[in-house]
Amino acid sequence: MIAVAAGTNRIDPYLIPALDGVAYGLLVFVAASGLVFCFGVANILNLAHGLLYAIGGYTAAALLDGGWASLALALAVGVLAAATTGVLLAGLLTPVAAGNHLSQALLTFGVALAGGSLLVAGFGPDNPQVQVPAALEGSVTVAGHRYAAYRLVFIVVAAVLAVALYLVVRRTRAGMLVRAAVDDPEMVACLGVSPARIRAGVLAAAGALAGAAGVLGAPIIGPGTGTADTVLLLSLVVVVLGGLGSMAGTLLAALAIGEIQTLGVALLPSAAPFLLFAAMAAVLAVRARGLAGRWRTA
Amino acid sequence: MPLTTPWRSRALTAALLAAVLTTSTACGDDAPGTSAGGSIKIGLLASLSGTYQAVGTEIRDGFQLYLDTHDGKLGGRQVDLVVADEGNGAQTAVPAATKLLKQDRVSALTGIVGGGSVAGVTPVLNETKVPLVGSNGRPELKDVSRVWHTSYLSDEPGAAIAQHVRDNVKGSVYAIGPDYQGGWDELRGFTDAFGKIGGKLANADGKTTFTPFPATTNFLPYFARIKASGAAAVYTFYAGSAAVDFVKQYAQSEIKDIPLYAAGFLTEGGVLNAQGEAARDIYSVLNYSPDLDNAENRAFVAAWKAKHDGSPTTYALASYDAAAVLDRAIGAAGSDPTPEAINTAIGQLGQIASPRGTWQFSTTTHSPVQKWYLRQVRQDGRALSNTVVGDLATVGR
Repeated sequence: MIAVAAGTNRIDPYLIPALDGVAYGLLVFVAASGLVFCFGVANILNLAHGLLYAIGGYTAAALLDGGWASLALALAVGVLAAATTGVLLAGLLTPVAAGNHLSQALLTFGVALAGGSLLVAGFGPDNPQVQVPAALEGSVTVAGHRYAAYRLVFIVVAAVLAVALYLVVRRTRAGMLVRAAVDDPEMVACLGVSPARIRAGVLAAAGALAGAAGVLGAPIIGPGTGTADTVLLLSLVVVVLGGLGSMAGTLLAALAIGEIQTLGVALLPSAAPFLLFAAMAAVLAVRARGLAGRWRTA
Repeated sequence: MPLTTPWRSRALTAALLAAVLTTSTACGDDAPGTSAGGSIKIGLLASLSGTYQAVGTEIRDGFQLYLDTHDGKLGGRQVDLVVADEGNGAQTAVPAATKLLKQDRVSALTGIVGGGSVAGVTPVLNETKVPLVGSNGRPELKDVSRVWHTSYLSDEPGAAIAQHVRDNVKGSVYAIGPDYQGGWDELRGFTDAFGKIGGKLANADGKTTFTPFPATTNFLPYFARIKASGAAAVYTFYAGSAAVDFVKQYAQSEIKDIPLYAAGFLTEGGVLNAQGEAARDIYSVLNYSPDLDNAENRAFVAAWKAKHDGSPTTYALASYDAAAVLDRAIGAAGSDPTPEAINTAIGQLGQIASPRGTWQFSTTTHSPVQKWYLRQVRQDGRALSNTVVGDLATVGR
């Protein structure tokens, strides 16, 4: 399928899609890590996760005006709004027994439907446009190719977020408490920490991550009526591909999705509609047992 | 052109309606939609909610503008305009049209945004024998005996611009569009005509590249292929939010210096505002532009701007023309303008003066034989706007 014009380097035309795949993959990582965090660490299946991203996206569309101050404001408001929604979800989930995934799924899916309708009612059925800071509106030259400046900066910011997330989960007391609460909630309760508070904290953190992804990623996966579904779907694919065991698995899965959606489409445009799910089916066919094992212990 | 204030025309409409209602109850049943008092009922079906709300609103406002500037009359008869919501497609459009045709018993139907809606409504039109003067969506139809359109066929924009692209582009052209019926038709119009006159596509297999719709929001992988193909120009068709994504990403991509030609909808109406600077210099082909220099257009644009922000679009123009067609047809249908008489009269209208220039209905497709214009996005005062830079082919069959 590498039928490109003669005379050009065979790899050269695919540099930009490959780079863009990293940007897209990191966005999927930041967006999906909240879901993986909830599901893998706190054992909550949150199908309203896409809604949290959409809240960030609509906030960006409403507040961004081309200046840096508006970006900071949108980020603060988006993170706060999505984190608050996460806490509300935790409150709603209180009567649902821990680990009862069916009840959790039904409840959060209902919230996702209602919240999605509220967003459309509030912001209209059209896909609102997002205005990035003027300095990032243009394009820069990367290895002789032109690439959107915003996406290049986004790669750096998302990478910083990923490292920070890793450090928080692995190295801080809050991260340790959360991991302990999964292994032995009764023991953590004996230590004087309420499991309900931990659940609220995890959902707030997941919301904050999704909200941040929604604001920063709005120029890449923009807000619209289908955004919540798209992000939830991509996040679930990350869970399937990367499992719930490690952040490295999540990162690898997200980057794979990014490359499939960009480099894959550039290489095999005719297969674009089903490339992602073909890859997912292939991974499941090869590694089904390993992934199934992880799901059971989750 | 007599200009009445909206209040006066509305008051007049209300007064006449009251008179009509009293006389019609006294006279008993008349032919559908008409009454002895000289009024006529017209149904307008357009998307006033959902994805195509913007287009539907333009269509309603275009028709209303014609009524407001013509004393609320068509063919000398006071118009009772019944507006219904088409929604997102045939599923909502057919019940709404059925109500207009069977319950309200309108004499003619107009509007309809979606091609699928038109296809769904056509059987009801044939059953009730009422003509449709559609102002936007026009699918492939086997029987057009009662269907007329003031818009265009989906493959006509591409066919109209092919010769210009062939003459002005030194090299091959990359064709790309969305993967659904409208996209196939728009691109086929261009590639068929372009191929016939010896044009060469830059696409790898010589076939148009279709992107999944509406799933595609990131066009960068496709731009990389266009760059690798060595194309000298790109021809495309996108509308709505896909058009905004395509144009914005194009302007930031490594192919930003490759000339972009498109069916006019890429930069028409609200999407142009959302695209902003990214849309500058894009060439597009359309049957209308608000800066066309003729008397009808100057009056139309002035009347539009008095009521709305911004310039009228091709959607509003087509609906305005649908009203003009009905105006003349009802007038020509005689003292008893039944739906059948109106339908016959539309077929005998001949040349129709319009803000887009003079056009006429094709006898085979019942859609316009009209001139197409080459436009470029240029600075116009403070805003960017589609500026006519030349005439293209007259298309229609």
